[in-house]
Parts: sequence; structure tokens; C-alpha cells
Amino acid sequence: MFGLLARSIESLYQVTRGLKTVFQHSFRQPITKEYPDRMPDLPGAFRGRLSLTVNPNTGEHLCISCLQCERVCPDKCIQITSHKSPETNKPELIEFKIDHGLCMFCGLCTEVCPTTCIINTNDFEMADYTRESLVYDLKKLTLTQEESAFYFSKKELPLPKPKPAKPAAAAAPAAAKAEKPGQPAVKPADTAKEDKPKEGEGKE
Amino acid sequence: MAVNVGNDQLKTDEMIINMGPQHPATHGVLRLLLTLDGEMVRNVEPVIGHLHRAQEWQGQNRTWFQYQALIDRVDYLSGMFTSWALARAAEHIEGIKISPRAEYLRVMVSEMNRITSHLLWLGTYLIDLGAMFGFPFYPFREREKLLDLLEAVAGQRMMFNYIRIGGVQCNPPLGWFDKLKRFTEEFPDRVDEYEAIVTENPIFLKRTKGIGRLSKSVAMDYGVTGPTLRASGVNLDLRRTKPYSVYDQLKFEVPVLEGDGDTWARYTCRIREMRESNKIIKQCIEKIPGGTTEEIRKLGDEANKDENLKLMAKKQNSGLRVKAGEGFAAVESPRGTLGCYIISNGSDKAYRFKWRNPSFSNLSVLPELLVGHPIADIMAIFGSIDVILPDVDR
Repeated sequence: MFGLLARSIESLYQVTRGLKTVFQHSFRQPITKEYPDRMPDLPGAFRGRLSLTVNPNTGEHLCISCLQCERVCPDKCIQITSHKSPETNKPELIEFKIDHGLCMFCGLCTEVCPTTCIINTNDFEMADYTRESLVYDLKKLTLTQEESAFYFSKKELPLPKPKPAKPAAAAAPAAAKAEKPGQPAVKPADTAKEDKPKEGEGKE
Repeated sequence: MAVNVGNDQLKTDEMIINMGPQHPATHGVLRLLLTLDGEMVRNVEPVIGHLHRAQEWQGQNRTWFQYQALIDRVDYLSGMFTSWALARAAEHIEGIKISPRAEYLRVMVSEMNRITSHLLWLGTYLIDLGAMFGFPFYPFREREKLLDLLEAVAGQRMMFNYIRIGGVQCNPPLGWFDKLKRFTEEFPDRVDEYEAIVTENPIFLKRTKGIGRLSKSVAMDYGVTGPTLRASGVNLDLRRTKPYSVYDQLKFEVPVLEGDGDTWARYTCRIREMRESNKIIKQCIEKIPGGTTEEIRKLGDEANKDENLKLMAKKQNSGLRVKAGEGFAAVESPRGTLGCYIISNGSDKAYRFKWRNPSFSNLSVLPELLVGHPIADIMAIFGSIDVILPDVDR
């Protein structure tokens, strides 16, 4: 009888101790993140939607179509179409497709990219109604100059060199513009790095 | 805790019931084939394989570089440990030595991962027992902080891809060490809070004390490892018995509970382990060569040249290769001994992978524990051995 009483008191004490802890929490600041109203503060290393950057200063596209990201992708979700430019004899980007429905956001493509063109952005809201709309094309993937500048500073990436072949490049676009006004995508194909192409054996 | 129905004339037929694979409390897709005699369990047969993804085969068909990114998915609650086992096995073949800073970073992120894994277990286990008053959110609060820190260093909350063959991927961002230090200071108080609510709660004690006894010899026969084994009184923790990495330079205790190894002992063992992990992280912050990221930044280029501070001993690119040979490495994951065996033929893909997953062995002991208990105890016991189904089936 006495044992039962002692146990009851002990149990009552323990339950009260637990309830006290719970009660104290009523007066604490809430820590819930009000997500759709307030966006979370994501770190620079966050691996979200894939995007292609442009040079934050000049606005030229950084992709040199070396196809390294396409080859390293474990899910084969990247598809690059390029051809050899008849003028500069260098690979030139035509179309860049990423199927985000297949992507597993491992970030390997961003690691192998020699010009830090392909990056993981902080965007994670990509829900859509069809699978086809998850396939992003070049236009949808390419970031604006401001966005590129934001991610270059956030990820602490070294800024791309502002056009090493400047005198030639300055003359070339002018000439190109005069000849073919309908082709703005020709420009990216001259950076110093792409001269030593491992990418020579590309599929195109 | 056998219940005596009392009436011998009352005859009941045995009945076979499927529990799962879509049962919400089985933490995944486990199917239990229960033979019931009234309320009592007479026989149990776990049916596994619903989540088989051929992880070993995939490893043999992907390059090393690609497989490193995939392997976090095997045990999604403790991805660091699978990466670490793979990296250590490959380093064993290569004979690379990892710099002390990389080793310390590995220990830190892994112990953080161990705490998050145990915290999730604590929350869901209380739900298994029927604690629907919101307790699960207490441990999730701390887990969230740790996951934010892991996200900042590795890029994602659970699929880290941070520990690589030859080191770790990068230095933590600025301010990371301070945040972690603040966390380690407040974390013991939080564990006290959980314990105040749960540990001595009379209802919790009734549900767990003396339930699902696992004796020393049975546990060892089945190859059970991890906290489940240590709760049965066997002192086996690879961090202590076969120290790898820098664990021999750190001071921590391995909680081993003497006694009958019941459900409550397994709970206590995990709670104590969280406290020990917290201590390990604290020591690592003080001992890490090179100090915080801010100090490393000050060093500038010298940090890359210094052998003690170099993070990566092997170039990470698509042509990552490992020498021909075979290697084995095991780490102590939150669930037990996690082993990885590799045969490499020197190409960019491995010739053979074999994983020794702790959950698989731990699950095999389930029939021994369940027989003779009423249905209501099934989840109390199954939850306490903390298996994770992707890890069982891989």
C-alpha cells in the first residue's frame, strides 16, 4: 500500500516536471519559419536549380560548349548542341537543354565546368504541371547580368577574365554585326581557355 | 510481458496478418508477416526488398566521381557515413593519407550527422509510442539548426556529397564555426529538456521497461551493432575499439548499458550518445588544425601548400580513378557498423562493391524480440532498433 502511494507521488512529480517544461515553452519566441511569406536565407553553397551565367561585366555568355558537364552528369539530363563556327573555328553553342525532372542536384556539372558557367542557383521552387515544362532551354537557363553578378559574389567565385582577345574581339563583333545582324550568339566563342580543348572530341 | 487470457476452454485459431508495406509506422516499406494468436504474436517474418535499388550494381556501372554523389541516398538520414566508408575504402586501396584538417572536418560533420539522425529517431519513436502531443517537434527544432549548418557547408540538407575520396570538398563558410560553437553550448540543455519530458514519464516507462529484451548472446549471434548492441551490454564501438581517423585523439565515452537490453536501454543509449557526440564536436572546434575559416582565409595561399591544411589529396574530376586492388573500411554509423568492400581494376569504374549495412543485420533480430508480445508492442520494439529501410534493401 505504501509502495503504491510512493510510486504515485513519484509519477505525479515526473509528469509535472514534463508538463512544466512544455508550459515554459508557451512563453518562448516562435521559431517557425514562415516560408511562403518569408523566403529562407540560403547559403551560397546551396544546390538548387541549374542555370547558366553570363559575364557580369560584359554580358557575354560563358559557355564554351566543352561538353564536360554533359559527360559527367550521372542522370544524363544535360543535352548540348553545338557546332564549329566557320569564322573562328571554335565550338559554338546552339542549344543547351537541362531536364530538371531527371536532375538529382548533385552539383557535379558545376564542379567540372572550366568557366564557372553552369551553377546551382538558390531557386528551389520549380514545381510545374507537366514533365515537358521541366525541360529548360538555353533562353530559360541563362541568367541576366545582374543575377550572374549576384551569384558570382554569393558563391565567391573568381570573376571571369574580361575578354582576353580584346583587340580582335572588339573588331570581330563589329564586323560580324555588319555582316550578319541575325546572329547574336556568336560572341561567346572566344576566350583564352577554350584554345586547349579537351572538348575537341565532342559529339557534334 | 505475456498476457494470460486465463480461460483454457477459449480456443482461438492462429491468424496470419500482413503489416505493411504501406504501414505508416514501419518507417518505409517493411512488410511484416505476423502470425497472431488473439492479441499475441506467435511468429514474425520480415519481408524486405520493396525498396531495392541495386546500389551495388549502380556503383559498378557509374564512374567513381558519379557514384560518390549517389551513395548518400543509401541511408538518407546519415549520408555522411556512407560517403565516409566509401572514401576510406578507396583511400585504403590508394594508400593516400588525409590531412589532419580534412580528418577533423570529417569527424565534425559526421558527428553532427549522428546527432540529427538520433534526433529524428527520437521524434518519430515517440510518435510510434503514441505521443501525439507535439513532442516530435522538440527534437526537430535542434535538428533544423544542425541541418542548416550542414547545408551551409555541403550544399544540401541530407544529400551532402561532401566527403570525397581523398578528403573533403571545401572549407565551411565564414561564421560557420561560431554558429556551431553556439549550438554545442546550448544543446545539452535541450537534451535535458527532452529527458525531463520523456525519460522518467510513467507512461513511457510502462511502454518501454522490460519490453523487447535482447540478451547479449542473441545480439552477438545475429551480428547486431550500434546502439542496439551497446544497450545489451556489449562494448563494441569502432570509434573506440578500432579507432580510425582522429578518434584516438579525442576524449569521449562510449555509453554501454548493463542489464537486460530492453527498449528503454536502447533509448537511453542513444540519448547519451548524442551528448557524447556534442562533446566530440566541441573538442574538434578547439583542436582543428588551422582553426576557423576566417583564420584560414588570412593565411591565403599558404593554406593550400601546407600539408596539414590541404583539404583534398586527390583531384576531383570526371576522370577520377582508383588504383587496382581491393580494400575494406568500416565506420561507426548511427545505426551500427557500416562496411564497404571494393575491388577496383584501375579503371574509372569499380569492379565490385559490397556494402555491409547495419540496418540489415539489426532487422534480422526482430523476430526474436517480437515473439510473445502483444500487437501494441510491435511498434515500440521495432522503433527502438532504429532501422531505416533504404539501408536494409539498398
